[in-house]
Amino acid sequence: MLRIRCPWCGERDETEFRYRGDASQSRPAADAGLEAFSAYVYERKNPRGWHLEWWLHVGGCRRLLKLVRHTLTHEIRWVGNAEDQASLPREPGR
Amino acid sequence: MPGNASGLHLDTSASDIVEIAALRGRAPDVARIALERGVQLPALGRAVAAADHLALCVRPERWLILTPPASVGASAAAWQSACVGLGAVLDLSSALSTLEFSGSQAREVLVRSCRIDLDAQAFPVGTACATIMAQVAVILVALGSGLLLLTPASTARHFHEWLLAAARPLGFEPPSQRNDAAASDDAVGCGDKPS
Amino acid sequence: MQGPARIAEGLLTDAARPLGFRFDGQRMQGVAGDTLASALLANGRRLVGRSFKYHRPRGIVTAGPEEPCALVDVIGAGGREPNHLATTLALYQDLVAESQNRWPSLGFDVMALNDRIARFIPAGFYYKTFMAPGWAWEPLYEPLIRHAAGLGRLDAIVGEHAALAETVHDHADVLVVGAGVAGLTAAHRLGASGLRVVLAEQDTVLGGGALLDARWAEWRETTCDALAGLPRVHCLARTTVLGAYGHGVFAALETLAGADAANLGRLRERLRIIRARRVIFATGAIERLIAFPGNDLPGVMLAGAALGYLRRYGVAVGRQPAFFLNTDQAYESVFALAGAGIERVGVIDVRSGSLAAERARVLGIEVHEGVVVEAVIGRGAVGGVRVANRDGSQRREFEADSLLISGGYCPATALASQLGAALKWQDAIAAFTPELAPAAGRVAGAARGVFGLAAAARNGEAAARVIGAELGHASLAAGLELALPPDAEATPIGALWEVQARGKAFVDLQNDVTAADVRLAQLEGYEHVEHMKRYTTHGMATDQGRIGGLVGSAVLAQARGLPLAEVGQPKARPYAQPVPLAALAGSEVRQHLKPKRRLPLHDWHEAAGASFVTTGLWLRPLVYSRQSGWQPVLREARAVRTSVGVTDVSTLGKIDVQGPDAAKFLDFIYANTFSTLAVGRSRYGIMLREDGMLLDDGTTSRLAQQHFLVTTTTANAAAVLEHIEFHLQAVCPQFDVLLSDVGDQWAQFAIAGPRSREVVTALVADLDLSGQAFPFMAASAATIAGVAGRVFRISFSGELAYELAVPARHGLQVWLAVLAAGRPFGIRPYGLDALNTLRIEKGHVTGAEMNGNTSADDLGFGRMLKPQADFIGRELSQRAGLHAPDRLQLVGVRPVNRKRRLRNGAHLVAAKARTVSLGYVTSSTPSTELEGWVGLALLEGGRHCRVQRLLASSPVHNEATEVEIVSPHMIDPENVRVRA
Ligand SMILES: [Zn+2]
Repeated sequence: MLRIRCPWCGERDETEFRYRGDASQSRPAADAGLEAFSAYVYERKNPRGWHLEWWLHVGGCRRLLKLVRHTLTHEIRWVGNAEDQASLPREPGR
Repeated sequence: MPGNASGLHLDTSASDIVEIAALRGRAPDVARIALERGVQLPALGRAVAAADHLALCVRPERWLILTPPASVGASAAAWQSACVGLGAVLDLSSALSTLEFSGSQAREVLVRSCRIDLDAQAFPVGTACATIMAQVAVILVALGSGLLLLTPASTARHFHEWLLAAARPLGFEPPSQRNDAAASDDAVGCGDKPS
Repeated sequence: MQGPARIAEGLLTDAARPLGFRFDGQRMQGVAGDTLASALLANGRRLVGRSFKYHRPRGIVTAGPEEPCALVDVIGAGGREPNHLATTLALYQDLVAESQNRWPSLGFDVMALNDRIARFIPAGFYYKTFMAPGWAWEPLYEPLIRHAAGLGRLDAIVGEHAALAETVHDHADVLVVGAGVAGLTAAHRLGASGLRVVLAEQDTVLGGGALLDARWAEWRETTCDALAGLPRVHCLARTTVLGAYGHGVFAALETLAGADAANLGRLRERLRIIRARRVIFATGAIERLIAFPGNDLPGVMLAGAALGYLRRYGVAVGRQPAFFLNTDQAYESVFALAGAGIERVGVIDVRSGSLAAERARVLGIEVHEGVVVEAVIGRGAVGGVRVANRDGSQRREFEADSLLISGGYCPATALASQLGAALKWQDAIAAFTPELAPAAGRVAGAARGVFGLAAAARNGEAAARVIGAELGHASLAAGLELALPPDAEATPIGALWEVQARGKAFVDLQNDVTAADVRLAQLEGYEHVEHMKRYTTHGMATDQGRIGGLVGSAVLAQARGLPLAEVGQPKARPYAQPVPLAALAGSEVRQHLKPKRRLPLHDWHEAAGASFVTTGLWLRPLVYSRQSGWQPVLREARAVRTSVGVTDVSTLGKIDVQGPDAAKFLDFIYANTFSTLAVGRSRYGIMLREDGMLLDDGTTSRLAQQHFLVTTTTANAAAVLEHIEFHLQAVCPQFDVLLSDVGDQWAQFAIAGPRSREVVTALVADLDLSGQAFPFMAASAATIAGVAGRVFRISFSGELAYELAVPARHGLQVWLAVLAAGRPFGIRPYGLDALNTLRIEKGHVTGAEMNGNTSADDLGFGRMLKPQADFIGRELSQRAGLHAPDRLQLVGVRPVNRKRRLRNGAHLVAAKARTVSLGYVTSSTPSTELEGWVGLALLEGGRHCRVQRLLASSPVHNEATEVEIVSPHMIDPENVRVRA
């Protein structure tokens, strides 16, 4: 089970959060067209490694968090708020 | 409650509850106005109890202010006119139920569903948090007198029943519960058959 | 009296407290502190079960949770509970237990024929045999297999009297798993330094190996006393850590003291969810078996178990025991039994010239070195052993009444493996040890291959120092400074996995897997250890192959010609021990299974005789009658059509939206426009998902320039709140908007019907409700029956209607006022069924139509989508596929024969092609005004459907009703009534 360190509430069980998907996707501009929106809605990298994610703290402060999680080890390297910029750690050999 | 082996006390009481949410950048203004009205708004995760109110903060730049019941919406209306343009003021008096749970074993009961560390060192008096218990949202506040729990009104009965069930193995047997049991036994005794 | 084999006082038993119990109908007596296994052994009982596949007689093999054979059914007033381990089941007065997997009786088992035909049921037998034909599976094979296989029989009474369990959430700085010498040392050092420690021990007492060595008794007692005095240390006996889930989260099962199958209606188990900043696994090592023919006969037992039964319960497992072993450590059992007065002890040591053998000889114990046990003599019980040199030469036989074996010790690595520990082969102990990343935790003592109690204590202390330093305690508080009895110098293990000879040599006693099965798996291509496991089922029984797992891997390694280090072991996964489902469910069962949401007026509705229906979590009045059928529903609905009715719609989701950017934000959330909505007006709105499909609908009102109230459907309230909270923060962070859930704050009542204006006018003094001043879709604050609230002129029924909202605490007062004001007009409260009838006739959709697969266009909302501005779902809603002419679209349906009924879910088919579904009925009801039934349906190309008639086919009801396709707006299509 994940324990997520909410910037507002502190460390909480995964149970309190709702996963809201890949946070590296940003919504295209209104006029970006069908392909861009299709990619936004449907295309995912599904990486084996670091992944930028949205989590909504529905059981706590109801704020949206952005975090960096390793899909293999579940290690959470960074948690920030929705507007924080985050870059994924580089993995050697990948 | 007298005659209770567990030393647990559970009280429900109505409060007027106002929520104030600050618009962007307006939290300091809201705090200033609150102070003028005699209310010190606490930091996130904290609660401040005063003689006539309790203020707590479990969501960033949002506060709940509990006061003794007055006329419908009066407290909210007063805050509303004080905070025009600074934030949203909502009357939540009917939305949240308050339970006060005290006694030496109160925390021992709550750890049967609460995922938050309620150890007195980790959750000292003056702490407040929003979490999930018995599958419903709960706001927990550590007061000098015990723990205050705020739960959504629609699930309050569910939560209350769960709490009583969790407390029972620790010897908690509220008198009202015994009365209910007696009443239902009587009903059966009277031959009142369901159709 | 307490059994002929009880020869001494046990550490745990109290001879003064005898306990009577029954096993397979036979009355026996044990003493307090016994397990069922120790009591059976004390009574000289050997045979306790039949094996899973071959129905071979089996006895007690171990003294703990690793037991593969001694599984019993416990029969109590709560029913029959299978798969209790006799080796851990605490004895209680009047315990009734039965052996498993025997028919018709344990002594005479018909299925034991399987043993003679073993040649025909090798590994993979079921896979190979029950392949074809498919039809035979259900009637033939499955009952056959079910009868033959399986362990216990489940026959529990599930109800109020069933055992209860609960969940407790724990928090600690350090979780120490295992209270042997290493764990006790670590827990004490950390706890004495002020750290918060949870020490979990599966045994009923703390001490581990120290319990079995008299020299360590004082150390154990002093340390346990000291631990008990540390306020921040929580010692949990009878608590097995079941799983390590990462991020410091662990699950443990605590079996409550004195709780047993006879103890009904009281707590029996406690699931503990432990969150710890650090963990130390001091889980010890598990003795393993050796595969040789007959190693499953009753009377064959692990050497360490014999020591356990003697020290803990004062029970001698045999009067003439033969030991078959390969380590010096296993000699502890030899010395203990000899020391307890068992005279005829013999040892068969695989090695030659060990220090322990020398010590044994000094004590006058007969030791045969450099030899192995080739066979067990006896049928049904051990009568002797046949011993030979390792090459099979120089066979001889010895008499013995029990055979106590030890193939060495495997560190208990399961929990560390769950945290990603690699397993490293250690030649010195012929076993794998876990290599755990320091960030994940520490392994201490025998669990990391440090054998010997003094060495384990020092190792536990070292782990404590490292963990203490990590948690900010660079130097720990002083320890107890107790003298550690020195470990004896030991000759290394002489690894031995299998003695190949004629007969079945088991590597898995619970699943009846033999060494030959493992070789067969390898021959058939299942070479990988994980494949071999699944093909043979080795290690897949409830004991998880604890005592034979590595032996199977070793046989596989030998067959593959690879070192065991390379072949490895199957990966361990949670749970580390079987868990009763009741313990996992905890207290969230029965009435607490799911929260119930109750309306503010729940009690009134109940008193008024409402039948309730659960929709989502809500309990809603379905109809105010206990009478079944449609008449009560139609009575309520017709009151609305002809006069006035009132219904409780407090379940609707209500979201308060405020801020300078509130209007802009709603324009983005909704497919239609809200920025143009005037203050004091409401508008029906639809939301799409970003993929263009419909998400939800509802009425949103503008209460002030920067203040809106959004309503959602009951079912989607939580999901819509999350949806808009997400989009505000992730997609529109520039907007200054505040969202608040006010769903529970407001009680809301719909007053509907041609007389509704008169009723509402009587309640609201400060608002002009004339059609002109307060037209359809008006909204205003108002004082309602003296309560400050809101009035909306909106309608779901299709009639002239108002919704009144007041703070829920005052809901009853206002509801009663509504009923009083409506009495002259015959007002009726109406429930969800009538509400549904009214909306179906009107062609209003709910979740049945807005089912996640429908687009706005499908339901006739196509023109609501604003063409100019951006909103969620705009781009993808324009995809050609979502506008294809043959999409399922909303239509109305009515039976041609007005006497026939409609059924939800009935498929619409052409009379000539009844297997081709053209759509289906989503909602249906008898009508209030039209003759017969009406329904809504989704039909291919429905809006422009040329076919006038189809069949509504419901094969499960054996019905096909001819229906006509009509407009979904079956009542008042011109919307005259709502605007009255
Ligand atoms: Zn939070």
